[in-house]
Amino acid sequence: MEALGVYAPRLVSQRQGFASGHRACAGCGEALAVSLVMKALGRNVIISMSTGCMEVVSTLFPHTAWTVPWIHTLFENSAIVASGIEAGLKALRRKGASLPQAKVVAMGGDGATFDIGFGAISGAFERGHDFLYVCLDNEAYMNTGIQRSSATPFGASTTTQPAGKVGMGQLTWKKNMPAIAVAHGIPYVATASPSYPFDLIAKVKKAAEIEGPTYVHILSVCPTGWRIPTDMTIRIGRLAVESGIFPLYEVEKGKYTLSYDPPKLRPVEDYLKPQGRFRHLTPELIDKIQQRVTAEYAALREKAASG
Amino acid sequence: MDKKVTVNIDGRELKAKEGQTILEVARENGIPIPTLCYHESITPYGVCRLCKVEVFKGGRSRLVPSCLSPVEEGLKVVTDSPQVKDNRRMVMESFLARCPKNEVIRKLAAEMGVKPLPVKSKHLEDEDCILCGLCARACEQIVGRSAISPVNPRMKQEQATLSLKPSAACIGCGTCAYICPTGAIKMKDGDGTRVVYARNWKKEFKLKKCQVCGNYWAPEAQLEYIRKKVNLPRGFFDVCPNCRK
Repeated sequence: MEALGVYAPRLVSQRQGFASGHRACAGCGEALAVSLVMKALGRNVIISMSTGCMEVVSTLFPHTAWTVPWIHTLFENSAIVASGIEAGLKALRRKGASLPQAKVVAMGGDGATFDIGFGAISGAFERGHDFLYVCLDNEAYMNTGIQRSSATPFGASTTTQPAGKVGMGQLTWKKNMPAIAVAHGIPYVATASPSYPFDLIAKVKKAAEIEGPTYVHILSVCPTGWRIPTDMTIRIGRLAVESGIFPLYEVEKGKYTLSYDPPKLRPVEDYLKPQGRFRHLTPELIDKIQQRVTAEYAALREKAASG
Repeated sequence: MDKKVTVNIDGRELKAKEGQTILEVARENGIPIPTLCYHESITPYGVCRLCKVEVFKGGRSRLVPSCLSPVEEGLKVVTDSPQVKDNRRMVMESFLARCPKNEVIRKLAAEMGVKPLPVKSKHLEDEDCILCGLCARACEQIVGRSAISPVNPRMKQEQATLSLKPSAACIGCGTCAYICPTGAIKMKDGDGTRVVYARNWKKEFKLKKCQVCGNYWAPEAQLEYIRKKVNLPRGFFDVCPNCRK
């Protein structure tokens, strides 16, 4: 679906669920992702969103960018609040209230998903609530000033783990959150990127239609934290996919399908080079990343081939 | 400033701009009306008949397709009266008879509680197309190529490239596959070719290979069309957007 972007943009809904005028940085990939997610979901949704960039930039009192019911939760409990809303709707229906169909959606950044809210998400997946969890992954705590999270990739320089004479940035590899979601045995898990808007819209629509817990992981390029020019957002998102660092795939009931499988992967250097947070990497470290990415991509391909 | 009118839909007094259709006003206010042939970016066609609502005016009522009917001052509209439901059931039954195996139609019918009639069509067992004409209108209005259109009159009508041969005007952009509400038109990319196909026609396109990274990225015919339309130099699309400096 990725090449469809030439005439089909005119066929995407013009209704904005996430209104303009919010305070996101110039070139924010996360605002773009949320806007596309809202176009895919339509208006019959209830959103619980944990603290993070998107909560801070979109709801400065007394303004809001949201045109749908929206609840701000603490960092850790967007999945808990979503579970509660879903259970509440169910109870009201059981008691005979006639309510319109509404999808419950929880959203959070990578900090809320990978670190702080991790247990709550796991619990909600395990209990099997009918909700969609959207992770907006910009690979660090950008809102508070680029502190490392467990989503920060190997070698990236952050303010709490800076590159310099002593260290070389993040020393650990990125946690594989989609694989953890798959391990819960939930019906649908997908990765998406706003650089591939039709793919993202299709995946969110599909996830919202499926009953039961679903998980969509979106890589949101952050020019501020990744130290790139603001006009590079879309290109960096595409390079992440084409180099195999962030492959696009769906997992339906444990069955892997690659959404975009280029015949030849780009070298990871194409992706790392324009970013200031990877500026200090030596050829040896880049080679180490390349080996890891190649191996992980091959493993993913194998999973997709074996079904 | 547009003139405002007040309409009553399902007992709710709603403000609307003059010239808006009943369907637009209802959807803006969260009142569900099912449709198959409607799209907000394309001129309405009123052919699927699923969006019919009951309109009360001058002491009598009638069923009108809401995608084509503009709102008027003091209009009273009901979207879930027995007559409307009866009409929807009948429309869905005929879609089910035409496309008994189509997932979208079956799902929509199940949501409305409509069961298939015990009639079976002899010729249309595998039909997915419901003749909504969205593909033809999108190709004309959005892409500007008119490569697809209804062929054959009345009972034998089908949605196809003219005369069922691969159309020379088709550029393989896939807009028809994207907009098709029932998935009758499909598209597949692989090994340097893209195939756009339906039950009764099929066309293959060569994809452009990027001279730098070697990945295939868009149909050659489409890129040539865009290049001519916006007056780009020859060879502009030899390199994919990710490799372009």
